[in-house]
Amino acid sequence: MSTTKPQGTIKVRTRDVIFIHWFNAFFWLVLVLTGFGIISGDFVRLVPAFWPTFMQNLLGGNVNLALLHAIGGIAWAGVIGVYAVLNFKRVVLPFLKNVLVLTPKAAIADLISMTITLAHLFGLLKNLKVPPQGRYNGAQRLLGTMIIASSLAIASTGLYLFLAPKLLTFSTLALYGELFRWALVIHVSAVLLVLLGLVAHIYFAVVEEPESLETMKSGNAEIAFIQHHNPLWYESLKKEGKV
Amino acid sequence: MVAKYVMLADTTRCINCKACEVACRAEWDTPLGYSRDWVKEVESVNAKGMPELQIFPGRCQHCDDAPCVEVCPTGASWKREDGIVLVDHDICSGCELCVPACPYDARWLNPVTNTISKCTFCQPRIDKGLQPACVETCVGNALIFGDANDPNSEVSILLKTKEWQRLITDEVNIGPNHYYYTAGKTIPVEVMPKLHERHLAGKSIESIVNPLGTIGIGGMMAVFLGAGVKKLVDRRKEVSEKEDNHEHH
Ligand code: SF4
Ligand code: SF4
Repeated sequence: MSTTKPQGTIKVRTRDVIFIHWFNAFFWLVLVLTGFGIISGDFVRLVPAFWPTFMQNLLGGNVNLALLHAIGGIAWAGVIGVYAVLNFKRVVLPFLKNVLVLTPKAAIADLISMTITLAHLFGLLKNLKVPPQGRYNGAQRLLGTMIIASSLAIASTGLYLFLAPKLLTFSTLALYGELFRWALVIHVSAVLLVLLGLVAHIYFAVVEEPESLETMKSGNAEIAFIQHHNPLWYESLKKEGKV
Repeated sequence: MVAKYVMLADTTRCINCKACEVACRAEWDTPLGYSRDWVKEVESVNAKGMPELQIFPGRCQHCDDAPCVEVCPTGASWKREDGIVLVDHDICSGCELCVPACPYDARWLNPVTNTISKCTFCQPRIDKGLQPACVETCVGNALIFGDANDPNSEVSILLKTKEWQRLITDEVNIGPNHYYYTAGKTIPVEVMPKLHERHLAGKSIESIVNPLGTIGIGGMMAVFLGAGVKKLVDRRKEVSEKEDNHEHH
């Protein structure tokens, strides 16, 4: 079958979506760096001791560092939350439809395509083709679903971790402290889970598909790239007369 | 040389008047029913079949390897260079992860401040050159406080001249800086430190979340570093093959 590569680019992301992506990325960076600086005790610390020491000295103590982390967290969740509400129909709903993996069948299909993609990186399973993908591929969908669920968990537990000691009297009800301790476990676990996925996300954006990174800056994608990587999406764009 | 503060309790001199408790509660304005120090009484029957009462004044032992510090997520629990273990009330969340970590039951959640209370060796007083409130009030002169790094201090001299014991067991030996003189009597098990069941949430972070996170993120980095290297090698090969073909033509 001879295929001619379609020429040109198409606008696939609006400026506000690009802004929210980089806003999210910037706040993640700041919140991870400050968050790792807060957790101090040797038994519970996530990073080598020099980091909490450095960050706490830089900010003049853990009280300031924790406050900065909390303000950053509230700004992060607040801006994204308000943006999501205001643009629910235009941006959020279509994004969720494309990205959320909700059924076991979809999860298995995405896992299979992700495994094949990963195997191809190492020259394995070469005889297996990645099944045709839509706007987001299997790995992106799994990562997206995980990030959305983790972000909700991070925002809600973070709010409790910050506000509960200020608003509740822990000595009156053992549950308050118990919730606090488990909120910390969930907060940390969800962050680690997202960081795990981000390693792959950043690798693909920088090394394997710099075109995607370019799209996240300019908003434009090469039509040939879409046709090659996301054939199902290409078909639907064609149907809509956009390409 | 930086100081190393220690507390000595001569149990043979303690008359169980509990003036130390009263002084501590007054000094620190602790809520009703709570105290940062205590006097434990242990009744037993001695070798002659006679009842015997042993008395152990106690408080935070300002341990060298303090698990309460190691388990504290916010760094509110910390150890000063001179060995005093303190709680920073501005940052303490009241999560109580440190409470069961202490084998001496020296910590409690203060219902008034919502933070952890414990003995500080009266740090503000000693920074002014005073003695801790309990020591100053001790009727029997059973409590002696001072700098063990100063060879001329009373504690240094006493530590050299008498047989002191610390509350340590095979299981719990975290370097307490509180010494007891019992005139050779064995310290009863009731006074010895206990390993408590720590909070499950704290243990989960320590034994599951952090190791899995480290292995997971480390593994991912290794995998993608490998993928990156392979890509580089493949590209080099491709380029040199192309160049070879070029030369052949
Ligand atoms: S006695 Fe308890 S509170 Fe005091 S330093 Fe040791 S472990 Fe911490
Ligand atoms: S309650 Fe204990 S573990 Fe929790 S922040 Fe306060 S001192 Fe640290």
